[in-house]
Amino acid sequence: MRIDSTHGKWLIASVVILVAATAIYIPYAASSPLGPSGASGLGLAFGIAGFACMIFAGLLGARKKVPVWRIGRAQAWMRGHLWLGFLSLPLILFHGGFRFGGPLTSILMILLILVVASGVLGAVLQHYMPKVITAEVPLETIFEQIDRVRSQLLAEADEFIAGASALGNPLATAGARAAVATEELTAITEADVAPLRSFYSRQMRPFLEKPDARRQALADAAKARTIFDNLRTLLPPALHGIVEDLQEICEEERQLRKQARLHHWLHGWLMLHIPLSLALLLLGAAHAYMALRY
Amino acid sequence: MSAAGLIELTIDGKKVAVPPGTTVFDAARTNDIAIPTLCHQQNETPVGVCRVCVVDVGARVFAASCVRPVESGMVVTTSSEKVKQARNTLVELLMADHPTPCARQQSSGDCELETLARQAGISQPRYSRRTTSRVKDISSPSIAVDFDACILCDRCIRGCSEIRENFVLGRMGKGANAGIAFDNSLPMGNSSCVSCGECMVSCPTGALTNKGVTGTAIDLDPHVEAVTPDELQQLPVFKGVSGTFLSLNRGAVVRRHFKRGDVICREGEYGSTAFYIVEGKARVSISTPIAHVKTQGGARGFFSKLTSQLVPRKADEREEDTDQRYIHIDAPVDLSYDNPIAELGPGDLFGEMTCMSLYPRSATVRAETDCTMLEMLRNVLDIMQRNKNFRAALDKSYRQRALDSHLRGVPVFAGLTDEFIGSLRDHVELVRYTPGQIICRQGDASDYFYLVRIGFVKVTQAHPGGEMVLAYLSRGDYFGEIGLLGNDVRTATCTALDHVELVRISGDDFNRMVNQFPDIRKKLESVEEVHLQQNRERLSLVESQPLDSFLAQGLMEAQSLLLLDLERCTRCDACVRACADAHNGITRLVREGLRFEKYLVPTSCRQCKDPLCMVGCPVGAIRRRNSLEVVIEDWCVGCGLCAENCPYGNINLHPFEVMADDPEHPGRKKAVVKKKATSCDLCAEHEEPSCVYACPHDAAHRVDPREFFAGLVGQSPSQARKS
Amino acid sequence: MPRTKRTTKRLAQRIDLNYFKHPHRFRELRFLLSVLLPLAALLWLAGYGIAHNSKLYSAGPLSPAHAVLTKDCSACHVVSAAFFGAKANDRACLACHDGPIHHSDQVFTPACSSCHVEHRGRMQLAAMPDASCTQCHANLRASHSRPNFATNVTNFELSHPEFAALRAGSTDPGTIKLNHAIHLKVNLAGPHGPVQLDCGDCHRPATSTQPPRFGSATADVNAANSAPSSPAAMLAVAQTFGPPSRSAARAYMAPPSYAKHCSGCHTLLFDKRFAEGVPHDTPEIVHAFIVKKFQEYIAAHPSELHEAASTVALPTKPLPISPRVYTAQQWVDTRVAESEQLLWAKTCKQCHALTANAAAPLPAVAKSNITPRWYPHAVFDHDQHRLAACETCHVDARSSQDTADILLPGIRVCQECHHSGPEGAESRCFECHNYHDWSKEKELTRKPTSF
Repeated sequence: MRIDSTHGKWLIASVVILVAATAIYIPYAASSPLGPSGASGLGLAFGIAGFACMIFAGLLGARKKVPVWRIGRAQAWMRGHLWLGFLSLPLILFHGGFRFGGPLTSILMILLILVVASGVLGAVLQHYMPKVITAEVPLETIFEQIDRVRSQLLAEADEFIAGASALGNPLATAGARAAVATEELTAITEADVAPLRSFYSRQMRPFLEKPDARRQALADAAKARTIFDNLRTLLPPALHGIVEDLQEICEEERQLRKQARLHHWLHGWLMLHIPLSLALLLLGAAHAYMALRY
Repeated sequence: MSAAGLIELTIDGKKVAVPPGTTVFDAARTNDIAIPTLCHQQNETPVGVCRVCVVDVGARVFAASCVRPVESGMVVTTSSEKVKQARNTLVELLMADHPTPCARQQSSGDCELETLARQAGISQPRYSRRTTSRVKDISSPSIAVDFDACILCDRCIRGCSEIRENFVLGRMGKGANAGIAFDNSLPMGNSSCVSCGECMVSCPTGALTNKGVTGTAIDLDPHVEAVTPDELQQLPVFKGVSGTFLSLNRGAVVRRHFKRGDVICREGEYGSTAFYIVEGKARVSISTPIAHVKTQGGARGFFSKLTSQLVPRKADEREEDTDQRYIHIDAPVDLSYDNPIAELGPGDLFGEMTCMSLYPRSATVRAETDCTMLEMLRNVLDIMQRNKNFRAALDKSYRQRALDSHLRGVPVFAGLTDEFIGSLRDHVELVRYTPGQIICRQGDASDYFYLVRIGFVKVTQAHPGGEMVLAYLSRGDYFGEIGLLGNDVRTATCTALDHVELVRISGDDFNRMVNQFPDIRKKLESVEEVHLQQNRERLSLVESQPLDSFLAQGLMEAQSLLLLDLERCTRCDACVRACADAHNGITRLVREGLRFEKYLVPTSCRQCKDPLCMVGCPVGAIRRRNSLEVVIEDWCVGCGLCAENCPYGNINLHPFEVMADDPEHPGRKKAVVKKKATSCDLCAEHEEPSCVYACPHDAAHRVDPREFFAGLVGQSPSQARKS
Repeated sequence: MPRTKRTTKRLAQRIDLNYFKHPHRFRELRFLLSVLLPLAALLWLAGYGIAHNSKLYSAGPLSPAHAVLTKDCSACHVVSAAFFGAKANDRACLACHDGPIHHSDQVFTPACSSCHVEHRGRMQLAAMPDASCTQCHANLRASHSRPNFATNVTNFELSHPEFAALRAGSTDPGTIKLNHAIHLKVNLAGPHGPVQLDCGDCHRPATSTQPPRFGSATADVNAANSAPSSPAAMLAVAQTFGPPSRSAARAYMAPPSYAKHCSGCHTLLFDKRFAEGVPHDTPEIVHAFIVKKFQEYIAAHPSELHEAASTVALPTKPLPISPRVYTAQQWVDTRVAESEQLLWAKTCKQCHALTANAAAPLPAVAKSNITPRWYPHAVFDHDQHRLAACETCHVDARSSQDTADILLPGIRVCQECHHSGPEGAESRCFECHNYHDWSKEKELTRKPTSF
């Protein structure tokens, strides 16, 4: 999402609401005998407005579960969520007269600040990160399928190595040989293929199999380049095609890892934002009930 | 010169007289004198490369008798000591590199080279084997290639080029590295070889051998009988087919017996065989519901949830519906739309497209009476189709049964009278084309009008950037009328995409038809106008876009692209979930694909102007509409070929549960899953596609690529809109 | 062989079409947290609920007076059937406190909690901001009459009027002639030599135990006619305008009394024959006293009947012609007349306003009209102000020569210390004024709810 000029209407409306609220709040706060209070008429109005904003913001999750229902475009809901959710903070501050109150209301205020702060952080991340991901991971795929794609890359690499091994085998079939190099069907010995095989089994295969392991040399692009360059010096030119393919596969794997990391940044803040906001709504409802009744 | 114009010469002391131009070899042969040969084959042009047939003609050097023409007064010695010695040396040299015993020697014991060697008493050549060797090529499904056994006699090349005219084989390399190659040195299986077997039959050694029964024979089971070549040759349709070939491809044709009610083949299944009915009757029908997939809103419009349903045409008329009356299938008859059942009888061949081009079965065939059928693989069918007798029988059957419905099936010709068709019947020709063969070229004189009987024809037009595809025509379509109606020259090039058979009507007959039925002329002209307009549009836009990647990705081919702006997209999958929600849980959109600039072009139907998905549909169900939109008709049988053909992976199969006859309990129905092909339908029920509607970040857009990318190509959007 | 070309189809075919239906561990974790955290919140609430501890919902700490009720919300938040009926309303407050109405004619009676706001932390409940008062007094109206007071008071510094007693044109109604300047001057002639009087020699709180320097602590006074000066009486007066909790015993100065403060210098001698003076009382009593005194004297000294030459040469009195012989009654009458002339014309008149009544033989003495309390609508405590010398506030006292001068400090004097800001003394309304009319306080007999 980019917060750009298309948010203009929402921004203006929010500013207008904020200014209006402030204009109402200041005289009200000044004239109240003991300062603004959530229980006074205006204080209650602010509280209701703020809670309504919070509820609407919370409904975004529900909206996303029924994407086809024609109850307003998802984009409008998203922008409403952003701006009205943001407005809920000043409205609740006005509601409480900038005081934290008792235990429950203090927790609520802290939760609200955390939720709005995490939301702002999330909005910022979602503003910048897509561009970063697009630029840095040209080979990106669907995040949830990274493991599957990784296993497919592994299978592809295995096939290349099998093909290369077949080349070194004098009894190999024409098909396997044809699969590897069509220009030169000259004899390649077992000894030629050995460095490739050992590199693969010792470095590349673990690299593809264990994305979480540390200290893998291939995980660094510069180091990988050196490794592959060295590998090429050990192998006959007929096998260089395979080496290039393996290099591409390693590059893709690195990009997949990077994509996973960036994705965690892009979506990780939701781990904080969503649970806290649900707790906020729950406790807010409890507070509203108790405060109105008592 | 003798009195009768014959040339007289002496061969081995025998005086012979032969017509001028006869080679020494033929002269000897006709006079019962045998000269050993290796590279010479009777039905091929002699080339004289092996020199085994050398004879002493009294000249300074020995002459290769297979190429040397007789001269008057020539004295030929075919087996003097010197000649024998020369011959034996040649054989010994060849044997030095020969992998004795070669494959042919092992299987049938008749390797010509080894036979010669045995006869000459050569067991151990004195010369050393060559050091480099070529690897065997077993990529072809039917023929194994052992280059080490090849003696470069060129028989295979001549067999492929002269006899079969496939032009697949050739020579490559020079000197010691010379060899036989398929196309430009591709493995045989990847080349354009059609597995006719001519090269194999021609090869004297084990260089080209039959690959054995694995994969090239039909499995035998209780219902299947092997059938001997002799039995086959008893059948009138097999008259003239090479017995050698039949025996070499023993397992490639079998006889099957079906009981009444047996299902011979089911629509949508993949197969590789054709069936020829020897006796009995069979019923051919389409059992998939004749209905199209419609996504419609749920009961309450506000909380609408789209469901995919099968809706027949009667219940839901789509404005672009053609009044298609016939469903063209891979059989001698076409099925009527309203009642898709027809009958096949003795002498009918069905499953040609499946067999030749590996398309899925287009209909279900069930035996109505007890039947006997021949099931055959491609190599046999190909041979049969080249066989004169078979062709004649097929022609006759087509003219009598299918031509009528075929012509009538073309909506433009619906008004033809029976007597006109009767008169036309004998004036049409059935012509066949192999894959890639050009049927007519742009700019050629117009001479014929064509109807497509089987196969797919690609219609292209030349323009500055190359050839642009205008359309793919399948069974029931026609072409060539523009040229005949007024232009005099062809406006486009038509090429056969696979094994195509066309009904060809001469220009005179065509003109007679349109003059006699002015309605037809009018209809043809209006359709022609539409086509010309579309062509002009396409040409104009192609001329104005120079962008390689844009074209390379096929983006300009699209009429409507779904683009995901990657700088806004947070990869939240809301679009995919919305698409699935709108279509019964099956998404038609996958958020993967190639990028163009900052956009991701995912797999969502692009409504290509040149729909590759159309190619190969066995029932011609995926068509282009008036608006160039690609739509899948009611009679889709769910084979999935369009899904395979779509280069972007935009088509998926959507399973539906329908009630069908239970084969185990006749008379009762049970629920089965039938598939229909589906692709993005732009959520026509709503104003906005669900994916665009559900994207919270304004990242998904359905655009007309010409307008959207107008800036890229130097146009303003309004300019783009106009073009 | 190079890798297969990257096309959209190949890329898409890597993907399982149903991938979004199988939740990724990322989403699962998020879902788990989204369930756990609200659940934890719910359990937290439930925990407090089960323990019947409602302090969670308290809007803030209670004032020190009510802090013991923190866990027992129902002491004030009495639950009733109506949804909004569980608020802490006036009934709850009145269970323990009586809060008499301010003025019978007030336009509306604010709820207890509108001024006394609880749950604001450890602060004095009674210390409320001016706004509680100015909600009426900024624009004062009465229900059935016109208000008698300033109608637009918003705060002490800027819009509080001058104290009523000091309004322009007001004078001290007291009839006792007193010149502060003379009394406070240096080397004032006293009975035993020059004295220096100080404010505190005449003006002391009623309960002061320090004996006056120039008077008698135990002199009799006519309680009915003079300003009350007994501690009990003072207390009674003071309590009219203050809450019972406020001990006003040292707040107000007792009005000066003759016996305590004047008698030391201002003797009421009337005749040289007697060492004592007349009682400080009504003229009738004085007359009776003198008569009695002379009668007793002549009875004791009959020889005085023969009058010798007068040793008193008064300017206005002609010399007697000859010694006279009086009867006792005549002698007494003459002596009484002489004494009374002295008293009425000089001694009493020095301080009192006497009006000779043609009809009555004795003059009438105007009531002294000493104002016991100058600012009845405010509460003032001299003891709290003991840091300041008397002249700090009573600025004109040393220079005042007229009884009519009102020597009370005006609002300006108070405002010098009582202003807003960190360096000012409390200047909010409640510091000097009370809302509740404590004269109408009722004692509570009900026990408050136990806790």
